[in-house]
Amino acid sequence: MEWPTTALEVLSEKPLTVKNPKTWHHTHSYGGWGKFYQGLREKKILATRCTNPECAEKRLWLPPRCECPDCWHPMEWVEAPQTGTVYTFSTVTYPGELFKLPPGTPLISLEIEGVGTKLMSWMKEGKPSFGLPVKAVFNTDNPTHTILDLAWVPA
Amino acid sequence: MIKFGPGNLRIPKFEKPVYCVAGGQTDYRKKYWEKNTSELCIEALRMAVEENDLKVDPEEFRRMVNWVVYSQFADHFGDQLLAAAKIHDYLGFDPLGNIEVKTGGATGGSSVLAAAQAVASGYANCVPVVGWERMDDVSTKVGNSYIASAACKDFESELGWMYTAYYALMAQRYQYENEVPRETLAQIACKNHEYAIYSPFSQNPGKYTIEDVLKNEMVSDPLSFLECCVMSVGAAVLILCDEETAYKLSDTPIKISAICGGSHTLRTADRRDMPILLLPNETEETYKDYKGKRRREWPGFSSFLAARMAAYLAYNMAGIKDPCEDLDLLETHDAFTISDIQTYEDIGLRPYGRGREFIESGDAYYEGRLPTNLSGGLIGTMHAVGATGIFQLVEILWQLQNKWAKFHANPEMWTRFGKKKPAEFRDLQLKNPKRGCAISHAGTGSHVTCAIFEKP
Repeated sequence: MEWPTTALEVLSEKPLTVKNPKTWHHTHSYGGWGKFYQGLREKKILATRCTNPECAEKRLWLPPRCECPDCWHPMEWVEAPQTGTVYTFSTVTYPGELFKLPPGTPLISLEIEGVGTKLMSWMKEGKPSFGLPVKAVFNTDNPTHTILDLAWVPA
Repeated sequence: MIKFGPGNLRIPKFEKPVYCVAGGQTDYRKKYWEKNTSELCIEALRMAVEENDLKVDPEEFRRMVNWVVYSQFADHFGDQLLAAAKIHDYLGFDPLGNIEVKTGGATGGSSVLAAAQAVASGYANCVPVVGWERMDDVSTKVGNSYIASAACKDFESELGWMYTAYYALMAQRYQYENEVPRETLAQIACKNHEYAIYSPFSQNPGKYTIEDVLKNEMVSDPLSFLECCVMSVGAAVLILCDEETAYKLSDTPIKISAICGGSHTLRTADRRDMPILLLPNETEETYKDYKGKRRREWPGFSSFLAARMAAYLAYNMAGIKDPCEDLDLLETHDAFTISDIQTYEDIGLRPYGRGREFIESGDAYYEGRLPTNLSGGLIGTMHAVGATGIFQLVEILWQLQNKWAKFHANPEMWTRFGKKKPAEFRDLQLKNPKRGCAISHAGTGSHVTCAIFEKP
């Protein structure tokens, strides 16, 4: 048998410190939530609503869930409105690795009529402010198949 | 809306009293290539066993241990699954049973909770809790990405891959609802960086003015670098025992009168309005004017339900009526200046909307009513995540045992870590403190524990 031909790069001799390369990918299934991302390709914001008539929570869930956390009943998919208002915002100057947008991208959380949650998203154009009315835009040409395929601009 | 049933708010109780006898830690560094993780853990354990005036020698101590709890946030960082097994063997506890706990930033607090449960139930009577994090294997940018993979990767991580940004969204909303000047936030940063000057364990000490903080570069507005916790490597250890074992080991054991946990949705987005859960020092009257045009809901983005839950349970368990009166010192999870103010309200130091008064009044300082983060906290001293909740309680233990100076003022402790004790040193030992509290916190408030340590 031969010795291995690939070696770890030595970063320091004292203490001996080496570099372990990692080059593989992770597979990720969105499972039942995949419908949401597929909806974005058709310029639809798909949310879910509990089907249990006895359940007190009548509002939409966005991010969607397949089961209601309050009563564990199945949810149904419903198209959410494509307008909302900015609930809060921040401009991230130093994002982490993997961020697909440039530093300086305004992040927002949204209030949408009839939705009980406050979806986190980003603004593609304009400057965010509290209560600013915004409308949805969709990345349908080269979708990333992530939450970033949905963004907002001033309405 | 979250509706509590009668079982949901049951006040926890220990079947047997639980004590803490010793604590130890390494210093904390951004990069600690000099020592591998096992070496850091044994260093912290040896400090706990050999330097806390225990009445038994290390060999006898090892023969008393019957269960061990390990505390590490992210396997991603150390790139070693089952690291706890490797460390357990290295510490010489093989083949005793052990368990590793993981609840994000609150992992340290949860690990102490798990150890306390083991002692309280009678399952074990001598339990070391060993926590660490090795965050120097990757760049800061990748490290932030790893931490952000503890947000919802389907709907939130992609929006920045940066926890500071998720906190900044809360910070903006909090400031909008409560009109807290940035100067007040900066005061917290100045305080904790300064207290870190007096700790040989600290990573990021410094004397800063409010102006320095205000001019500091933004990570994600309104949070600047000086207002964010550090990313650290290091380890911390606590030893928990039942009463009989505690007095066999120590003349000054400290009682754990409560340690309790709460949770809330990992996604900040999913937090729905609900009635405020009232602490013993609050009534419906406290909040009759709470809601208004800007502050339309609770907990919203301004408050941490998990922290409120943990404090509710722990205060009731420990018999605390008013935290500012009944506690003598506090360690908060000051990952960001803004979350510190939010926490002041969640744990009842001031009513919701008035958290700023706790720092502005001077209450939070060494000289104040409830000195907070004399350790330097996460902003000044450390956030080696799995060790953090343990570090907070080590510092509280030493204060309650009147041993702060032994571990902070001794010049030998400084030279041990390659540092020189500062010429302008301040003694931060409190005058005979009786009861301390520590808040360990994960996510944007996904898990929080509240621990109350007191002199028996």
